[in-house]
Order: sequence, then structure tokens, then C-alpha cells
Amino acid sequence: MSDLFDIAVIGGGIMGCAAALQMTSGGMKPVVLDQGDLGQGASGVNAGTLSLQIKRVKLMPYALKGHHEWERMGEAVGFHKSGGYTLAFTEREANLLHERQRLKAEAGAPIRFVSTSELRSAEPNLTGKVLAASYCPEDGYANSSLTGQYFRGRLRAEEIPYRERSPVTEISRSESVFHLSTPLGEISAKRLLLATGAWLKPVAALLDVDLPVRARINTVSVTERMPKLTSTVIGHATGLLTMKQKTNGTVLIGGGWQGRGTPQEGRGEVTAATVMPNLALAQYALPKLAKARVLRSWTGFEANVPDFYPLAGALPGVPDAFVLGCVRGGYTIGPYIGKLMGDFILGREPELPLFDPGRDFNEETI
Amino acid sequence: MNATYDIVVLGAGPAGANAALTAAKAGASVALIDEGTQPGGQVWRPKSAAIVEAPVTPESRSGDALRKSVAGSGVTLMPGARLWQIERPETVWELQVLAGERNVPLRSKALVLATGAREYVQPVPGWTLPGVVGLAGATALFKQELMVSGTNTVVSGTGPLVFYVASEIRRLGGTVAAIVTPNSRRDWLGAFPAMLQRPDLLARGARWITDLMLAGVPVHWRHAVTSVTGSDRVTEVCFRKVGANWSPDGAEQMVKADSLCLGNGLIPAIETAQLAGVPVRHAPELGSWVPETNEDGSTPVPGLFVCGDGAGIRGVAAAEVHGKLTGNAAVSWVAGRNPKPDAKLVDVYRKSARFGLAMTALSIPRSGLQALTTSETVVCRCESLTQKAIRDEIASGAGSTNAVKSGLRCGMGPCGGKYCQTAVARMIAAIDGRADAEISPPTPRPPLRPVPVSALAGDFDYGDLPIPKPAPL
Amino acid sequence: MIRLVPDQSRQVVRSEKVEITFDGRPVQAYRGESVAAALLRAGHLRLRNAPVDGAPRGTFCCMGLCQECVVKIEGSVTESCRLAAENGLAVASIDCGPL
Repeated sequence: MSDLFDIAVIGGGIMGCAAALQMTSGGMKPVVLDQGDLGQGASGVNAGTLSLQIKRVKLMPYALKGHHEWERMGEAVGFHKSGGYTLAFTEREANLLHERQRLKAEAGAPIRFVSTSELRSAEPNLTGKVLAASYCPEDGYANSSLTGQYFRGRLRAEEIPYRERSPVTEISRSESVFHLSTPLGEISAKRLLLATGAWLKPVAALLDVDLPVRARINTVSVTERMPKLTSTVIGHATGLLTMKQKTNGTVLIGGGWQGRGTPQEGRGEVTAATVMPNLALAQYALPKLAKARVLRSWTGFEANVPDFYPLAGALPGVPDAFVLGCVRGGYTIGPYIGKLMGDFILGREPELPLFDPGRDFNEETI
Repeated sequence: MNATYDIVVLGAGPAGANAALTAAKAGASVALIDEGTQPGGQVWRPKSAAIVEAPVTPESRSGDALRKSVAGSGVTLMPGARLWQIERPETVWELQVLAGERNVPLRSKALVLATGAREYVQPVPGWTLPGVVGLAGATALFKQELMVSGTNTVVSGTGPLVFYVASEIRRLGGTVAAIVTPNSRRDWLGAFPAMLQRPDLLARGARWITDLMLAGVPVHWRHAVTSVTGSDRVTEVCFRKVGANWSPDGAEQMVKADSLCLGNGLIPAIETAQLAGVPVRHAPELGSWVPETNEDGSTPVPGLFVCGDGAGIRGVAAAEVHGKLTGNAAVSWVAGRNPKPDAKLVDVYRKSARFGLAMTALSIPRSGLQALTTSETVVCRCESLTQKAIRDEIASGAGSTNAVKSGLRCGMGPCGGKYCQTAVARMIAAIDGRADAEISPPTPRPPLRPVPVSALAGDFDYGDLPIPKPAPL
Repeated sequence: MIRLVPDQSRQVVRSEKVEITFDGRPVQAYRGESVAAALLRAGHLRLRNAPVDGAPRGTFCCMGLCQECVVKIEGSVTESCRLAAENGLAVASIDCGPL
């Protein structure tokens, strides 16, 4: 415990680990700390959707790069490029779909609109009530449960020290060295990267920095193994539904329906009032789902700041400290933006611009 | 069903039914939920509709009396119903119950959980073969269908269930090929003082054992089943002598059999209590992990009570009394009064518990029990994960039941980890050199039982969908 | 031979016999008994194959928890140990290996 690390990465999810790996490749010696098991925050409990159709226009270049990262990680993270459809069932949804997907296509995503007959031939089990649909062949999914196992393996392979079940309770700074208190003892590092996702606000508060981070509590459900019902990732014009069937036959259903709780209270709770309409919508879109039994529902936190763009850069007011998180589409973009962050901390010019955490969130600065 | 009950009781076994009856008698409005078709739980499981007539047993007598009491009371019984979600957004418990094919929401001021126990089986090679049933599972078959699991059955396990099952097989016309028990006669001698409290049960047990001896059924004390073989069903069962720590150390013996009843004690079913927010603690003398519960069934969660074997394996007699104490405590809580437990009843509870705990002690896992599971043994039945796969995952750094679950899908199958997580937690402890008490059970997620999507969808109308604010573009 | 525990099996009276089918094959059952019990008595111990390795599986916990005894009734998956036999019940084995 008397080692002095070049940098302490607080938060062992996709972003923290990806940044640590990049920094190591540039010769730095990081240590990664996580309050629980690696990759068990948002990184490990989301629905695993990798869809360009739900990415923000200005983040599209990052999302495209993110998809390449996931493809490289491949089987180890259960990556599948299945293609994906976004469905609209009403006039209003169809208008929303046309307007938004067009802008995303213009931003570089290979999205196109499809006829209902093309949709029916690709996905015969979907309801006939679809009014309009868009398609992206680059879309797919990965298995978010494998995040922890994957990055644990990568950190070990690169001999990057990490401490799990090691929350940071205090941070002090003296003579250009940060001292972090953890249950397993004190950690000292010259620099800090905060990558704690939904827990960025309380962790930044340890340094007296107030980050306007809020957390949504997204619900995901999974069914028992089913015969083949669908082969692509299904989305909804409003975002209220994501659905995918894994190769083991289980169907994963999400859509950002809100559970209850806060990051400080621990994991969130599923609430019947939202999980039921979530699944009702899934059944509406895929009627054969009616007889599928749901085995498990859970929630995960998704952090954001008021302008819904990432925090990626120097931590305001604290020298030698950085912050990375709150990326809208963090699962997709995480492995890539983690690398950018690593480059930035190494003193290199990141390939794409980062996002100044000190910006005015009420202005359209991005 | 929009009314709010004073008390909802989950589980209509000896504990839950007594809690419900006691509360109803005190004037509370009570709903009693059970997965089964009638009250009785596991130990007093009712006969199926296929049984028109059957000889009376002590269990059927007690169960019939209980069912009659419930029927004649003011308790609202919900049979064949499965609670799958518990929430308490404000002050009232909001429950979701799958009744048949429909979802039924319930509200109550207080919630009593009497979810009982299930068995713990140490995985051994071949334990997943058709024809292998749990020891407690076998009793379910006997009580409900008066059926035995095969024509020539090996009965193996710890504690009194072994002899009860063997005896029931004989009573129902079956044949016991052998009894294999890791307990020694000396272990039983140690339980003798507590057994003296219940001369009736002592006599019954003595009759079972004498009967088995007279019938020439081999009883292999200090032995354990080490493997089961067969191509698509049980054909042979192998067993070996074990040491005092239950690690196999004798030569392998084999017996031909077409069924095996196997169990290593009962463990409290704690998932519902965990979901309701009750902290758990490790108590091997009570079966494994137990919710933090007081003698009157109260827990650190206000308005949440746990009674019976679900609070710790203390046996049926203690469960009945615990139910009564808890019913009273729940009524007091709803009325805003301080609970005033009946001192006599508490005394009866403690005395009854002493016997039950002595029986449970016979099954407390010993250090060698895990040695019965080999590398190739499937540990997670649902996902066919072997001990080797799990050990490799732990060796690669997975240090918690949740981490093993995420990496391997261990515990993500339809049973929700009920038959693997206890063994996995003990594996993690053994490999990492940590105490069993440090490796907590995984976080339970709703639904508590599998629920069809259609029951959740209900009468969905597309127009009901909320129109969310458009996501940032 | 002295039996301290008498064989009481002949004193059990059951309801009328009905016929159910298991994957199309007729199986005798007593009306109201669990489908798991009826299949067990008829010698159908292998109810399904484990999805990952295809290993034979059948009734295990008899309490509706382990999900090993699940069968399909009209497309719905249910525990056969919690399902009562009635005349004409068509029971199908499930097959959900990897897609």
C-alpha cells in the first residue's frame, strides 16, 4: 500500500478500465478501484443494446468508433451484429422516426427506412400493426453481464493492479499526491480519474467538486429460453422498447422504464407499475412473447448531466484530476471514449474532441 | 381487491397459517397466500384430488385440522397463488400475486413471510439424472400423491428425514435398497437429550429404525453417496465411507437402484425476505443464511415479519408456535401498540425449538462435504455448469456470488440459483480462504417466481402508453 | 416377517383413471394427480433435456422450485409437479436448446 501510482482510476466499469488500459499502453502505471466487483455498475446490468439508431447526432462519430471496439472485443463479450429495426406504431411516432433517423443517417450512421413488407419478411413474428420502420445493419448487442469478467481478464493480462469491493471514502491531497482512503488501506497516486458513473456526484464531492450528475433508473427484464422469435435488435420510435433474443434463446427487454432508488441507496428497485407496461409493450410488438415466462427483472443506473453530453476532461478546480462519464449511450461509446481519455491523460491529442466538464450546462456549448 | 388488508401472510404452512388464524381471531383482516391448492405447506402437504381415501398419519391429521381451521376462519385464502413482487413506496405494502393466469395486486399494512425451507443437496456426479429426487421432495410426493419415486430406492442424507423417507417408502409399498447417511450413531446419540423432550417422536423414530433393521435394509452409517450412474435414469448408486468431517475416505461400494432420494439438510427460503429488505446473517445452526428475526417474528423492517422455518430450521412444532407469536406481533404493530408476547407461548416456542435445532444440527455442513463434488460434477443445474467451470471463474478473480453469476450465468437459469448458490458461495469461501459468513447470497431480483409475459401485460391498450419527452437528439 | 411399519399401499383409494398424452403418447393417470406423478408412474422419467448440454432431466424437487419438471401445455411452460391431470390433457416436452 505504500506504492505511489501514476494515477488512481476510481470506477472499474467500461470507461475506467478502457482508460486504464490505454494509459498502460502509453507507459503509465494506474491502479483501478471499484466499490464492488468490476463492471457491475451500468456497464454490467444494461440491456446490452448497441444501436446507432438511438445515439445522439453529435455523438454519432463516437458511436461508430464504439461499435468497432465492440466488434474487436467480439465473442469474449458476446458481441453480435444482428442488425436492428426501430418501429413506429402511430402517425406521431412515424413522424418522429422519420425526422430523427434521417438526421442520424446524415451524421454518418448507415440507417435507412424500410417498407412494412421488408420488415415482415425479416421479422415475421412482429405484430402487423407497425406503421413505419427504420433499419441499421451495424446495430447489434453484447452481453453486458460479461463486462466484469472481460475487463478483469484484460487488467490481469496487462498486470494492472485493481481492488474490488474497495470504495473510496476520503480523498486528500498533499504535496501533489492524492491519498485515497479505502477499507483495504490507503492508496496514493499522482493523478486521479473519476469514472464512477452514477456515483460521480458523491465521489466528486470528496474533492469538494459539485458535478450536476443525475441518475436514471432503467429497468431490464429477461425471459426463459424461447424458440426463435426474433433475430435482430428491436427498438421503438420513442425509445420505450428495446428487445433482443440472445443465441441461448432468452429474450432481453428494456426501454428505459424507470424503477425506484438512488445510487447512494445501492442498486435500484424494480417497480411493478413500470415493468408491467414495459413487458406489455414488448408483447404488443411481439405477440408470441405472451407465453414466455419472465425470470428476472433488474435496474441499472444511467448517469447524465443536464445537457446530456459526456463529462470527459479535467475535473474543474482540481489539478491533476480528471473525470469521465455520463455519456449518453455509454455502453456503446464507453470502450472508445475510455481510450480517448487515456490518450488525453497521456498528453496526446485525442482522435476526436473530448467534452469539457467545466462547461456551462445550461448553454448549448457542445 | 383494492382494499388494504391489515395483514397479508405468505405461506400457509404451520407457521403462516397459524399467524393468519391468530391475527384473524384478533380481528385483523387477513389474506393468506400459498402456492399450493390448500394450506399445509410442505410438512403438512395436502393430498391431491386423486387421493379419495388414505390411511391417516400424524402429518395428515395435523394438516387436516389446520385446513379445517383456516376454512372456518375469517382468513381470505388465496390458493395456487404466487407472490412475485414486493414494494413499499410509502407506508403500505404493495404486492403482486400471480393467481392462475392473471396478476392480482394486493395491499397490506403488515406482511408476514412464512416461506419455509427447501433442501440443500451437495452436488455429486449424476445427481441430475432422472430418478434422483430431493429428500424433502420425496416427502412431497408421498404426502400429495402417496407415491414412491421408484421400485428400489436408495435413501441418503443427514438428519431425521432419511429415516422418515425410508419408512414412508416402506409404508407406501416400496423397497428401500439401502440407507446411506453421513451421520454416525454417535451423532444421533448427541441429539438424544433433546429428543427426550419429544418421547412421541423418539418412539416413532425408534419404530422406523427397528422396522428397517427387521426388514434387513442395510443402513450405512458414516457413508455418503459419491455418484449416481445411468444413461437416462438412475441405474446404480455408489457410496463410500466418510470421515467425521464427511470427506470420503473408504472404498467405493455400489448398489443397483432405480431411484435415489438425496438431501443434506434444509435451508430457509430467504429470497422473499431479502427482497423485502430484511438483512440476512449466516447461522449454520439454523440451516444457513437466515433473515434477522426476533422471537416474535419482527425484523429490522417495520411491518415486516418472518416466522417458521423461513426464519431458521427449528422444525414444525416451533413453527406453529412461532406463527402464533408472529400473528400477535403483527396485529399489535398494525394497531400501533407495543407487542406483548405471551410469556407462556414464548416458553413453548423455545422448548419446541430445542428439539428442532437438535435435528438441524445433524445436517450442519462439515468441511469434507464439498469433497463429494468433483470437477466434472454439474453444480448449476439450469446452466449445466461444472465445479471446474466455476472454480476457474473464481480463480480468474470472481470473488462474489454475483460476479460468478455475471460471468458464467450461474444462477441465472429458471430456478434462480435456489439449487446452486449455496454450494457456490461455499466454494468461493473455500477457494479464497474466507469464512462462509463473508460470502453473502446473491441479491434476489423479482419476479420471485417465473411469471408469463401475458400476466404482466394484462389488458394493455396501446393508448395507455405514456408519451415521454423526446430523448435528446 | 414382522413389519413395524405396515405396507399401507393397498389402503389407498384413488379417483378414476383418465388418459393424458405426453408428446402424443397416451399415458394413464388418476384424475387430479400431478402430471409429474403420472409420468413417473408410467416410466417417463426423462421429461426434457438440459438446454446447454442436452443431458436427461426429470422431476427433482417436487415443490415447484427447481424447474426441472417443466412441460408445455398449449404453448405455456409450467411445472408438471404443480399441474393436475385431467382427461385429454395434452402435455408436450419442451425443447429449448441454443438457437
